[in-house]
Amino acid sequence: MKRSYLIKRILYAVFIFFVVLTLNFFIPRIGVHDPAERYYPPQGGMSDIEYEIIKQFTREQYGFDVSTFQQYVRYLRGLLRFDLGTSLRPGSPKVTALIGQRLPWTLVLSVSTLVISLVTGLLFGTMAAWKRGRWQDTLLLNASTISVALPSFFIALMLSFYLGFRLELFPAYTNPNMVAQFHWSWDAIRMVFTNAALPIMSMSLGGIISYSQTTRNSVIAVTNEDYVVTARAKGLSQATVLYKHVLRNALLPLATRIGMNIGGLIGGAIIIEQVFNWPGMGTLFLEASSTKDYPLMMGIMLFLSAFAILANLVTELLYVILDPRVTVGEKR
Amino acid sequence: MSKEGVLLLVAQRGGSLLSFVGKLWQHPQGRLGLILAGCLVLVAILSPILAPYDPYDVTQRAAKGLRPSWQHLLGTTTTTGQDIFSMLIYGSRVSLPIGIGTGVAIAFLGAVMGVMAGYLGGFVDNLIMRVVDILLVIPTLPLIIVLTSLFGRSYFVIVLVFVIFGWPGLARVIRSLVLVLKNTNYVKAAELAGASRWYIMTKHILPGTSHLIIMNTALTSAGIMVAEAGLSFLGLGDPTAISWGKMLAEAQGGGALLFGAWWWIIAPGIGIFLSVFSFMRIGIAMEEIFNPRMKASSSIYKLFKHLNNTYLDEVFRSMEEEESVVREPPDRSDAPTPEGCHG
Repeated sequence: MKRSYLIKRILYAVFIFFVVLTLNFFIPRIGVHDPAERYYPPQGGMSDIEYEIIKQFTREQYGFDVSTFQQYVRYLRGLLRFDLGTSLRPGSPKVTALIGQRLPWTLVLSVSTLVISLVTGLLFGTMAAWKRGRWQDTLLLNASTISVALPSFFIALMLSFYLGFRLELFPAYTNPNMVAQFHWSWDAIRMVFTNAALPIMSMSLGGIISYSQTTRNSVIAVTNEDYVVTARAKGLSQATVLYKHVLRNALLPLATRIGMNIGGLIGGAIIIEQVFNWPGMGTLFLEASSTKDYPLMMGIMLFLSAFAILANLVTELLYVILDPRVTVGEKR
Repeated sequence: MSKEGVLLLVAQRGGSLLSFVGKLWQHPQGRLGLILAGCLVLVAILSPILAPYDPYDVTQRAAKGLRPSWQHLLGTTTTTGQDIFSMLIYGSRVSLPIGIGTGVAIAFLGAVMGVMAGYLGGFVDNLIMRVVDILLVIPTLPLIIVLTSLFGRSYFVIVLVFVIFGWPGLARVIRSLVLVLKNTNYVKAAELAGASRWYIMTKHILPGTSHLIIMNTALTSAGIMVAEAGLSFLGLGDPTAISWGKMLAEAQGGGALLFGAWWWIIAPGIGIFLSVFSFMRIGIAMEEIFNPRMKASSSIYKLFKHLNNTYLDEVFRSMEEEESVVREPPDRSDAPTPEGCHG
C-alpha cells in the first residue's frame, strides 16, 4: 500500500516535470517563425545579407537547422546528461556552469534566512501562543498585519538606507569584488556574511512573522487537545507540558510549511538580490532577461521548476511519514 | 459538528453583493478597510484634479531634491525635480486597477473552474485538477520576466500571467466546497425535479460559494498589488506609467539612499502599504463575518502563502484544522442550522 503510493507520487511528479519542460522548450519559440531571429535579433546598420549569414550561423550553432521535433528530442537527450544548453554570452559558457557559479551565493542568503526565520519564529510563536491574548500576542498580530502589507524590497531599501548609509553598520550594497576575493578563510567568510547581513535581514523579517503565526496557531490548536488537558491535570510542570506534549505535536504543520518554503528558496530572492546587487541566481536571471539570453533564462526556469516539484514531492511524502493519522490514497 | 456541517453553515451565510457590503460596514475592521479602499479609488479617479503638479514634468531643474514643505508636500526627486506627492497620487492609477482587475478575473476563472470540477466530476474534474497541479509548480515571477522579455514590457502581460497562474488556488478551495454542497438535500431535490446541470450550478451551487469568492477577491487583490509593486520595481511594467514600484526603483537608481532623500523612498511605501492594508482588512473582516471560528491571524498567513506562490488548498485546510480542534460551539448561537435552511 505504502510502496504503491510512493511510486504513484513519484511518477506523477515526473509527469508534471515532463509537462513543464515541454512548456519550457516551446516558450521561446512562441510567435516567431525562426528561433534564430529570437536568439539573434536584427541590429541596426546590418544589411539583409549579413543578417542572413548570422542567422544561418546561429541556426547551426544552436541546432535550429533541423525540424522542431528533432530539436525537442535533442533537448530531451541533453537534459538526460544534465545539459541545459549554452548561453548566448561571449565565450558560450554552459548554462549549468553559470547556474553552478551563482547557486551557492543564493543559498547563502536563502538558507540563512530559513534558519533564522525558523528559529526565531518558533520562539516568538510559542511565546505568543503561551501568552495568548496578552501584549506579546497582540504585538505579533499587529506586526504581521503591517509586515504583510509592506513589500520585502521596500523593507530592504529602508534597511539599506538607515543601517547602511546613515548608521554605516553594514555595507548598503554588496561588495562587487566579493566573489573574486573569496577563498576559504574565516576573514573571507566573515566578509560574505557582513555583506549578506542586510539582504538576510530584509528577507527574514517576513519569514519570522509568518513562521511565528504558523507556530502560534498550531500550538494553540494543540493546547486545546484532550491529552494536553490531561497532562496538566496530572500536575506536570508547565515546561514538561510545553516541550513534551505541545511542541512535539505542534511542529507537524510547521514541517509542511518548511517544505513548501524550500520550493521557493532559490527563486524567492530575485527582488532582494536586485536591491543589494547580490551575485546570486536572481541577478543572473535578470541579467539573462535584459540581454535576452533565452537559453540561460529557460535553463534557470527549468531548474527552479524542477526544484519546486522536488520540494513538493518530498514534503508530501514526509507528511505521510511524519503523521500516522494521514490515510494514504484517500485524499484527492 | 462535522466538517460538512461547518462548511454548510458558512455557505448559507452568503447573499447578494449589497448585503456583503452592509455586513462589512457593521464590522469595525471591515469598515476601516472599506473607507480606506473607497478613498483610494476616489484618489485614483480624481488624480488629475487632486495632484498639485504635473507628475510627468521632468524639466524642473530648479526644484531638484527639495525636502517636504508646503509647496511640495512630499518633496521632489533629486534627479528631475518631479513632485513626489503628485507622483504618489498618480501611482494609484496603476496599482488599484491592476489589483482589483486581476482579483476579479481570478475570482471569475477560479469560480467557474472550481464549480465545474466539483459538480461535473469525472473527466472534467481530473483534467482541471491536473492543470491546477502543473500551474502551481511553475514559478510565476520568473515566468513573467521571461514573457516580458518576449512580448515587451507591459502590464497586460503581467495581468495575464497573474490570472492564468492565480486561479488554481481558488479553484481548489471552491471545488472542495462544491463537493459538500453537491450532496445537500436541496441540490438533490433540484436534480430529482429535473433541473439542468447548468441551472443547478448557477442557481444552487454558485451562490453557496459566493462568500469564498468575494473574500478571495479582496485578499488576492492585496497580494497582486504587492506583486505588481515588485514587478514595477524590477522595471517590468509599462515604462511610461508612474507606479509606486517604479518610483522606488527610480529612487534607488537616482541615489535617494546616497543623498539621504528619505521622502522619496517612504512616499511610495505609504502608497503600497495603504492600498494593500485596506484590501487585506476587507478580506480578513469578511472571513471573520462568514466563519467566526477562523482566527484573524490565519488569513494573514494565507496571504503570506499566496505571496510565496504556494497557495494550495490552504484556505480549506485551515478550515479543517480549526474545525477538528475547536470543540466549543460556534461564537454565534443565532447562526442558522444546516437543516433549517433550504434556501
